[in-house]
Order: sequence, then C-alpha cells, then structure tokens
Amino acid sequence: MSRTAAIIIAFVLGLFMMIQFFIPHPAVTGIYNTLLDIKQIVLGCAFILGVLSLIRFHAGRIRQKQAGGWYSSAALLGLAVMVVMALVWGTEDGPYRWMFNNVQAPMQATMFSLLAFFVASAAYRAFRVRNLDASVLLAVGVVVMLGRVTLGTLLSWDIGGQTLSLAGASEWILHSVNVAAKRGILIGVGLGMIATALRIIIGLERTYLGRD
Amino acid sequence: MHISSDIGIWIAALGTIAIFSFLYRENPVFRFAEHLLVGVSAGYYLVQYAHSGLIKKFWYPLTAGGNYWLVFGALLGAMMFLKLNRKTRGWGNIPVAFYVATGAGYLIPSVMKSMVLLQVGGTIRNPFAAGNSAGDAITTIVIFVGVICTLVYFYFSARRTGVVKHVSRVGMLFLLAGFGATFGYTVMGRITLLIGRFQFLLRDWLGVGI
Amino acid sequence: MFSAQSIAEKLAALDRRIIFLLVGIVVLIPLLVPLDLPVVVSRETRDFHDEIEALSDSAVLMLAIDYEPDTMAELDPMTLGVLRHCFRKGVRVVALSLYAGAPGIAQRLLEKAAGEYGRAYGEDYIYLGYNPDWSGTMLRLGESIKATYPKDQWGTPSVDLPLLKNVDSYDDVDLLVCINGSKYAEFWAAYAQARYGQRMVSGNTAVMSVFIYQYYNTGQISGFLGGIRGAAEYEKMLGLPADGTIAMGSQSCAHVLIVLLIIAGNVGYLLARRAKRKGSI
Repeated sequence: MSRTAAIIIAFVLGLFMMIQFFIPHPAVTGIYNTLLDIKQIVLGCAFILGVLSLIRFHAGRIRQKQAGGWYSSAALLGLAVMVVMALVWGTEDGPYRWMFNNVQAPMQATMFSLLAFFVASAAYRAFRVRNLDASVLLAVGVVVMLGRVTLGTLLSWDIGGQTLSLAGASEWILHSVNVAAKRGILIGVGLGMIATALRIIIGLERTYLGRD
Repeated sequence: MHISSDIGIWIAALGTIAIFSFLYRENPVFRFAEHLLVGVSAGYYLVQYAHSGLIKKFWYPLTAGGNYWLVFGALLGAMMFLKLNRKTRGWGNIPVAFYVATGAGYLIPSVMKSMVLLQVGGTIRNPFAAGNSAGDAITTIVIFVGVICTLVYFYFSARRTGVVKHVSRVGMLFLLAGFGATFGYTVMGRITLLIGRFQFLLRDWLGVGI
Repeated sequence: MFSAQSIAEKLAALDRRIIFLLVGIVVLIPLLVPLDLPVVVSRETRDFHDEIEALSDSAVLMLAIDYEPDTMAELDPMTLGVLRHCFRKGVRVVALSLYAGAPGIAQRLLEKAAGEYGRAYGEDYIYLGYNPDWSGTMLRLGESIKATYPKDQWGTPSVDLPLLKNVDSYDDVDLLVCINGSKYAEFWAAYAQARYGQRMVSGNTAVMSVFIYQYYNTGQISGFLGGIRGAAEYEKMLGLPADGTIAMGSQSCAHVLIVLLIIAGNVGYLLARRAKRKGSI
C-alpha cells in the first residue's frame, strides 16, 4: 500500500516538475515554488534523521559494551555539548561558534590534510611505467603537476624562436585534451542522470524505496 | 616567535597534533580526537538543519507569512521519522518519493541543456572561424576528435573491431590523459590542505612570522 | 657494490613514514624561508577577475560560500579575495551557503573583510546562512530570494534587510560567484545559468577544477579559479598578496618531491624487472 502510494506520488510530482519548465504560467509557477519550499523542509528533516541514526549507532555501541564504546561516549558527549551550547547561548556568537572555530574546523581540516602524505606514498608505490597507457597518464600527470606551480614557468626552452614551457604545455593540455576527455564523460553522465530520472518517474527505478 | 596565549588556539593546535599522530600509527589519542570530531560535527550540523529546515523554512513563514501549504512539508518531514521503526518504515518512503521525484523532474530539462546540449554545441565549432588563431583551430579540432573518440569508447553496444577498435583506443588515450590531469590537480589540492595546517601551527599557534 | 636487485629491494621496502617525513619537511621549510617565485596569471583567472572588475559600484553580487572546513585552506583565500575585491569597489554582496558546515567559515571571513573596508551589515553585505536542499535552493533563488531565505543567518527577516529592498531574484543579481569544494559549480551552471541565464564565475578546489574547463569552454562559466594556484593568481591581479601567494613556495617544492618519488619508484620497479628477467634466463 505505502509502496504503491510512493510510486504514484513519484509519477505525478516528477512529471509535473519536468513539464513546468515549459509552462511559464503564474499558477504553475506558484505550485512549483510551493513544492520547492516543501522539499527544503523535507530534506532538513531527512538530515536530522541522519544525525539521529548516528546517535542510535553510538548509543548501541555503549549499551552493548562493545570495544571502542568509550570513544562513542566521546562522540555523543561532543554532540550533546554542541546542541546545549546552541540552545543556551544561541548560534551567532558564544560557545557554539567557539567550538566550531577551535575544535571542529581545525580537526576536520587536519583530517583531510593527511591525504597529502598518502597521495605522496601512493605516487611512490603505485605509479609505474608498465605500458603505453600508464605512461600517458603518468606523463600528463607530471606535466600538469609541474606546470601548475611556479616552477613550470621557469622551466622553458627556446626552440626555433618559439618559447616552450611546462606551464604552457600544462595550460594547453587542460584546455584541450582534458576538455575532450571530461566532456565525453560529462555527456555520458548527463544522459545517464536523465535516464535514471525518467526511470524514477515512470516507476521502473525503485531502489530508493528500499527492499520489499 | 610569539606563542599564542589564546586557549582556543591551543585547543585547535592540540587537536591538529592529535590527528597528525595517525601518521606514526593508529593510537588512542587519534581515535579519541576522531570520535570527538564526529560528535561535535554532528551536533553542529543538527543545529544548522533544525534552525534552517524547521525554524527558518517552516515555522517563521507559517506564523509570520501565513503560508499554510508548508504544513504539508512539516507532515512529510515528520513521516520521515517513521523510518526509525521497522513496522512503519514503509510509510517513511512517502517523503523519500516526494523528495526524489521532484528532484528527478526538474533535473531533466536543466541537465539536458547544461550537460548535454550546450556541451555538444561547444564541441561542434568551426575551427577556422574569424578571429581564431592557429592555436585556437588546433584546440577546437583536438576537442572535437577527442569527444567523438571518447564517446565511441563508451559505446559498448558496438563490437570492438575494425575502425571502432582504433577509434575507441584513441578515446581511451584521451581519457587517460584526462585522468593524468586530474591526478596532477589532486596532488596540488592535497598539498594545499597540508600547507593550511602548517600555516596555522606556525603563524597562529607558534607565532612564527609567515 | 650494490646489485640492481638489492637497490630494488631497498626501494620497495622504504618505510612510508620516511616519505611522510620528507613531505612534511618540503612543505615546512618554504613557509619558514619564503621563496619569491613568479606567478603568471592564466586566462581563466583573468576572466574571473575581470567579471568582478566590470561590475558597477552599486552592483549586486551573489556569493555562494559552498564549502566546509576540510577545503578551507584552498578556498578561504578565494573567498577573502572576492570579498576584498567587492568591498574595495563598493559592490554589494549577498552571501549564502548550501553546506551545513559553511556558516562558521562564512561568518569569520565576512567579518574580517568587512572590518578591513569598514562595510556595514545589511547595507553593503548580508549573509543569508545555510539552506537545506542545494538543487531546490538554486532554482528557488531564481523566483524569490526572500522566499528562499525568509530570514538571514542572525534571524532578521529578509524583507527588513535594506540590501534586499530592490533585490529578489537572479534578475536583480549582476554576477553569481560560487566558491565550492564539490560539484556545486556544475549544478549552479545547470540550474542558475542554463535555466535563468544568470552570469556566473566559480572558485574551485584543485580536484574539481579539471571538470570546470569544459564549462569555461562553452561560456557557461565566464571565468574560474583552480586551486591555490588560482587563488595566488587572483591575489596578484588584486595587488593583495595573501595566503595563496605564500603557499606557492611549499606547493612548488612538494610537487617536485612527488615527481622525484615517482621517478624513484619507477627506478626500483625497472631494476626489479631487470633482475627478474636475468634470474629467469
């Protein structure tokens, strides 16, 4: 019953949102705007549901006394502290903002900065000139890497009155070969997105509803 | 060198070092910092979602602007929480269908225009148009040939023999060159993130003048 | 004497922490001893700069600050550059975010740049805050900014903000600038540019900027900044060298190190292959 209702809603609303693009009538635009406003509220609730699922996961780990439960306590404590701070002192200034600036932002930034070390290690261990394909990838990667920093500008040669530089080669690759490859992918991705959207609207694609 | 006396900077610096400690090996200090980050971030996001989704987008327009249609939004949003219970989980799919289908509907015309039609238009250009230099002409031809070859590479319905085999091979080389460019830029991005952390530790925490 | 095989084995067994240490050193030293390296401005950065420069004094610029702390090292210099450029010229800024983690960053940068140029909140700039549903928001802004964001980040009703008195959709916005660490620039191009004809430029992380060249090629995105190099080029055009410029020394050294690591890795691989072939004969 609920599944059938969901498929009917998907068909009606999906079709409407698609055709409204071609009907600039105030009544149609009004419904379109209201649906967009409602969608934003629904998504806000979906995100809250996501955080609640996270709380359930960590609470479960503590309750079941699993290994690492102590760390889950730290996660839940951090979450509770942020919510209480926002409720008591507001979000503009005060402890909520202070926690963001001094705890969340630096640690989140550091977590992602670790990738700099791992990308260097991966480049050392995995980038091998095994065949022509790997060599093309490697050569372009090196040209772009050196060409996009100031060093690429300094590495230049005069050949037959023309100045060739790594920066120039990198620039040309990015504006031509890179555009061709990425555009080929993009057109495929675009058509794939449209095909998936149509399958959702006509009810052929139901994986977003979960299992029966 | 003027080491900071700000407690906030010190906490940020210690948190940064705790995360960096993972580079030596996984350790309890890193795991604590990791979980604290997850909790604090989730708390920050929860407040933002509730504030923007429920107060700014629902309660205020409803009470101050009299937009009663938004009650449907709140009802649908509330139905989302039915997913937490195994028995009522199916009804939680109604708001999911609403969200997915409306997005799918308005995606079609916009994506068709931006990611397909305009991209095809940008590929089929006259390389010898007025004002084009020799370099522009070469670039236009390279883009045209590259896009065609790449699309042929992705056309799996045709057997890879004869001309198709050679064209798709060229397409693959274009793709590999494209991935090489992505790799070069990825290295750049990751190193920048590290520079940002070092700048913080040196300038904001230790007070080294950079 | 070292044999080819022993060198190959040594290279293969290199502890990754030695590589980590090398990366740390080459990034750290140029920050302590700055290198004065030239920055050549690319055409996409020049176009990005010129689009903002061409705005009139009272123009309205919509600034989407769409990133979280993970990419702020790359994108903060761009956002600050745009804000300083606008505030210096007198361009009015309508800032907003489609990432929940962005408000804390946006607040800090807006306050810093506005303080430097003595700009007033409400008149010269506003921050509408975060809104859930990025794609719906991009479309809804084309119909009504005030309905999309009924209140600003601080709870002031949008209708009471002086800057929004005569501004309520893309029709009233002269330029959209999207600073993002994801695919959002592509979707701003699909929803704001392709559907509403909104002129736009973007600032992107290095990883994402390789996907922006095709939009620049079609003219959908009129100019863009790619990674920290783009930020450094923009700072040069503004005549305001800051974090982007400072980073270029470390950036150059780290890239050279990674190229050397790739070469060393391949030397080890080729020596091992040769030793294997000799062994099999």
